[in-house]
Amino acid sequence: MPATATLTDDLFAPEVIADPYTCFGRLREIEPVHWNERFSLWLVTGYDELVWILRHNELFSSAVIKDAAAPPYPPVDPADVPLFDEIRDFRADQLVEKDRPEHFDQRSVVHGYFTPKAMEKWRPFVRAAVEELLDDIQPKGAMDVLNEFAAPLPVRIIAEMMGVPYKDRDRLRAMADGILYINRGEPYRFRPLVEAIRGIVDYAAPLVEERIEGDGDDFISVLAGGETRGVFTRHQVLVNTGLLLFAGHETTMNLICNGLLSFIRHPEQWERLRADPAGMVRLATEECLRYDPPVKSTQRVVAEDVDLGGRTMRKGQRIRWIMAAANRDPKVFSHPDEFDIGRQPNPHLSFGSGIHYCLGATLARVEGQEVFRALAERFERFELAGGPIEYQPSLQFRSVKSLPVRWPA
Amino acid sequence: MTAMNPPKLRIEVDHLCCVGNAMCLALAPGVFAHNESRQSEVQDPQGGSREDILEAAENCPTGAITVSDAATGETLFP
Repeated sequence: MPATATLTDDLFAPEVIADPYTCFGRLREIEPVHWNERFSLWLVTGYDELVWILRHNELFSSAVIKDAAAPPYPPVDPADVPLFDEIRDFRADQLVEKDRPEHFDQRSVVHGYFTPKAMEKWRPFVRAAVEELLDDIQPKGAMDVLNEFAAPLPVRIIAEMMGVPYKDRDRLRAMADGILYINRGEPYRFRPLVEAIRGIVDYAAPLVEERIEGDGDDFISVLAGGETRGVFTRHQVLVNTGLLLFAGHETTMNLICNGLLSFIRHPEQWERLRADPAGMVRLATEECLRYDPPVKSTQRVVAEDVDLGGRTMRKGQRIRWIMAAANRDPKVFSHPDEFDIGRQPNPHLSFGSGIHYCLGATLARVEGQEVFRALAERFERFELAGGPIEYQPSLQFRSVKSLPVRWPA
Repeated sequence: MTAMNPPKLRIEVDHLCCVGNAMCLALAPGVFAHNESRQSEVQDPQGGSREDILEAAENCPTGAITVSDAATGETLFP
C-alpha cells in the first residue's frame, strides 16, 4: 500500500476544501511530487520542486486550457457540455495561458502598468476608496466582510483602472462574480460562466473600439495599444480586459477575507499590528498572503518528458501545483503553521514565480496594505458573528462564502 | 580593461526578492543573466546602456534591483 493511500484522492472532498493545509501538508511530507490517479494529474506540494517547475517554463507549458478535454473536472449538466468550447476559446486567449515567445510580447504590453513604481501612484486612490467604504460601515457595528467590504473595493479600483464609471459597478460585479465559476465544482457552473464571458465581451467591445485610436492611459487603452502594434488580436484585447476584472476581483476579496480571518483567530497578532499599523503592515500583508493564500493552486502542462522528485512526468500530463502547501514547507519557513506577522524573509509563492509571476502582485500588495492598515487603525477587535466558515468548492481559490463579523461600538 | 574603465553603475540584485521573472534579462541582456536557480545575476555592469539598466530595474516586478552611481554612491533606482 503506498504511503499516500491513507489520504483522500478527491480534491473536492469537503475536508480538503475546508482545510487544504492538513491534506496537502501531509502529501508534501510523504511525496512532494505525487500522481493523483482520480484526476489524472501531478500534485506538486514541495517548495523547491514547485519553484523549479515555475522557473523552467520551457519544460512546463501554461497553455492548460487549449487542449483540455471537456469538461475537465467534476461533471457538468450534459446539456451544458457544448458551452465548454466557448469557455475554452475565451480562456485560451488570455495572456496567462501563453508560452514564450508570445507570452513575453503580450506581457510587455501591460507589464509597465503594474511595476512597483507605477502602482505606488494608485496608493492614494486605494486609500481613499478603503476609507470611504469604512466610513459607511464602521457605525453599523457588524458586517459581512465579503459582501460589504472585500467585494466592492476591488470593483471600485478596477473600474477606475479600466476608465469606466463607478455607476457601472453592479454590472461589473455581476460579470466578475460569474467568472468566479472557473475551476469550481458545481454541475451548473458553465451557465453563469458563459453569461459572464458574453457580458464582458459585450461591455468591453464598444470601449475598445472607442479608445483604440486614442492615447489614453487606462488599462483598456493600454491593451488596445497592443492591438495597434500587432501584438494582440481584438479578441485577445477583450479577453484580457476580462482577465483584469476577474484576476483583480476574486484574489483581492480572498486576501482581505482570509487575512482578516487569520487576525481574528490570532488576536495577539492583531494587537501587534495595531501597535504600529503603518510600520508593520507590509510584513503583515506578506504573512497573510503566505499563511492562507488567495489562490491555493494553479496548473501547468508538461511540455516534454522530465524527471522530478524521483518521478518521470510525461509530455502532455497535467500538473496542479499547490502553493498553499509549499508556503508551509518547513525546509524554507520556520514554524510554518504559525501566523507570524513579523516573519522576514517571507519568500512565499502566493504570486507564483518565474516569467508568469502575478502581474497584479503590486496592486494586490497596495490593496492589502491599505486595507489592513485602515482596519487596524479603526477597529480594536473583531469577533466572528456567524456559524462555521465555509469555503467555495474550488481547487484554485481559497474563497469564503461569507465572513460575518461584529465589533464593539 | 576593467581596471582602466571601472563600471559607472553599481547594480545589485536582491536574491531574497528575485523571482526569476526575467524581465531584466530581456531589457538589458548583456548585463543580467540567470544563475543555476534561475535568479538574475549581474554578469557585466558595463554590458548595456545606463537607460537599459534603469529600465530593467524599474520593470522588476518585485523591486529586487537597485542601481547606484559607482563613484558617488548616489542611488539612481529606486
